Amino acid sequence: MSQLASSRRPAVRRTARTRRRIGRLPLLPFIGAVLLAVMAVFIVVVPMLPGFDPLTQNLSMARLAPFTDAAHPLGTDSIGRDLLSRLAEGGRITMSITLAVVAINVVLGIILGLCAGFFGGWIDNVIGLVSDANLAMPVVLLLIAISSVTGPSATLMIVVLGCTFWMGYARVARAIAISLRGRDFVVAPQILGAGAAWTIRKHILPHVLPQMLILAVTDIGVVMLVQAGLDFLGLGVQPPSPTWGGMILEGQKMLRLSPWQAIIPGTAIFMLVVGTQFVSQLLTAESSTPLRKARRANV
Amino acid sequence: MLKFLIRRLVQAAATVLCVLTIAFFLGRASGKPGALLLTDGATAEQIDQLNETLGFNRPLLAQYVDFALGVFRGDFGSSYRNPSIPAIELVAERLPATVSLALTSFVIGVVLALAAALSIHVFRSRKLRALFIWGGSLRQSVPDFFFGVLAVLVFSVVLGALPSLGFTGPASYVLPVMTIATGQFVLYVRLLDSALTEQSSQDYVRTAYARGKSHGAVVATEMLPNALLPVMTMAGLNLAGLLGGAVIVEQVFAWPGVGEVLINAVSQRDFAIVQAGLLVVALMFVVVNIVVDVLYSVLDPRVRLS
Repeated sequence: MSQLASSRRPAVRRTARTRRRIGRLPLLPFIGAVLLAVMAVFIVVVPMLPGFDPLTQNLSMARLAPFTDAAHPLGTDSIGRDLLSRLAEGGRITMSITLAVVAINVVLGIILGLCAGFFGGWIDNVIGLVSDANLAMPVVLLLIAISSVTGPSATLMIVVLGCTFWMGYARVARAIAISLRGRDFVVAPQILGAGAAWTIRKHILPHVLPQMLILAVTDIGVVMLVQAGLDFLGLGVQPPSPTWGGMILEGQKMLRLSPWQAIIPGTAIFMLVVGTQFVSQLLTAESSTPLRKARRANV
Repeated sequence: MLKFLIRRLVQAAATVLCVLTIAFFLGRASGKPGALLLTDGATAEQIDQLNETLGFNRPLLAQYVDFALGVFRGDFGSSYRNPSIPAIELVAERLPATVSLALTSFVIGVVLALAAALSIHVFRSRKLRALFIWGGSLRQSVPDFFFGVLAVLVFSVVLGALPSLGFTGPASYVLPVMTIATGQFVLYVRLLDSALTEQSSQDYVRTAYARGKSHGAVVATEMLPNALLPVMTMAGLNLAGLLGGAVIVEQVFAWPGVGEVLINAVSQRDFAIVQAGLLVVALMFVVVNIVVDVLYSVLDPRVRLS
């Protein structure tokens, strides 16, 4: 009997856990939002400071440890470049590439997903096939293959990354489009002569966008990790432009003499990825309510 | 069973053919490589001469047929830089290092995750779950290459306990394996945990309790075998990805694997080597997936019969 009771226990505990998780939510997303805000302010404000200079080398000032020199608060690297400036400039480059990549993927995913879901049939099949093929291709190898022909460049990395993360958006957009395409408010305008593009834009897209934004926040962290890895391999942004991944590569070679060169940009990546994870947790939990309301209002 | 196996083999051959075709046309899309391979001072005749010897002046279709036939004989062409060395040889001699690193990390990661997921369910502990999943997620937020650099800093530079670069003996495995295994850990914990949770509310579990089995025995002998099935597919995909995707970790530890050859080939624009590497990775991907499918169908007859 006691064992029967124990087998039933998980169900009870699960609801308790859910309640606890919702009760705990505000703290972590708050920390995440603070982390992201601090990084954003850092990237914007540091370039305005008087001593900002990410590129000038000064061998007499090489390998200053952090917090020892007022002119170089985070120290200098092995050829005397100011690490605070490089961290901010690297952050600006890394963040803008990450945001561009995510934006390309969101647009691509929405267009392909809505077409697949709205039209169905062979269009759906073809897009599904392309998506499967894309999933099976490891992005690092793909970029290696193309780079060995054309030479590595930032543009190439953006294009390749821009075509490798759209499948998640497409899947969600397709599912929503399928659930809506038979509804009266979608069918009626078409009977009255509205075109497919207009109907999709006016009546389906508004239902898809909130979900896409939530996915996008989660993806920022993922894309940043992949992109930093590619910069680390030397397949992305080329020196002397600083990137966080590239700075870790330079720091790795100097690990014995100036370990902070790798630790500082690595910590920045970690803070940003954790920040997006915490924030996306809140968005995921909140998302269902307005979406559900919107859907109910349209019935 | 035989029919199932044949169907999978045909699919696998189609996949490899697909990768082969993409690899070939990707290489030719950029034009003839003669100019890239010679120094800037080379005359147009010298460039043309090199293109001629490497066979780039022939019709595209003829080149493709030759290439495809060569691949089936195990001949992937020669390195552009060192025409005397077959490209496949350069990749093949590095293959054991890559495979052993990927397999070791994979096994250790899965075993750790298995232990974690089982302890969560045997002790029915929320705290353990939070610990493993949060700890693992935080670890996942650190890029693998940065985690590797930190590991080298702590264990090689500060403590001087472990070798940091290259392969000097079994101790060289510790840091790269730790890096890959901990990075994969949370993925398997999540999968196993949700699979076990799903199984825990099934009728057969209640029946097992009614027969008088202890909770630990139910988790280990009744729930676990069923929970492993869905995890296996994912793990197979992951292992295949590891074989091709450990390039970054290999680079951190100067591991003498395929990754190093591929990265060098990029800086030397030696597409022949990249082509051979891509095909070898695709082959491994396909083989791992067939093994997983066959295992799956042996363990779960429903797959075979459908």
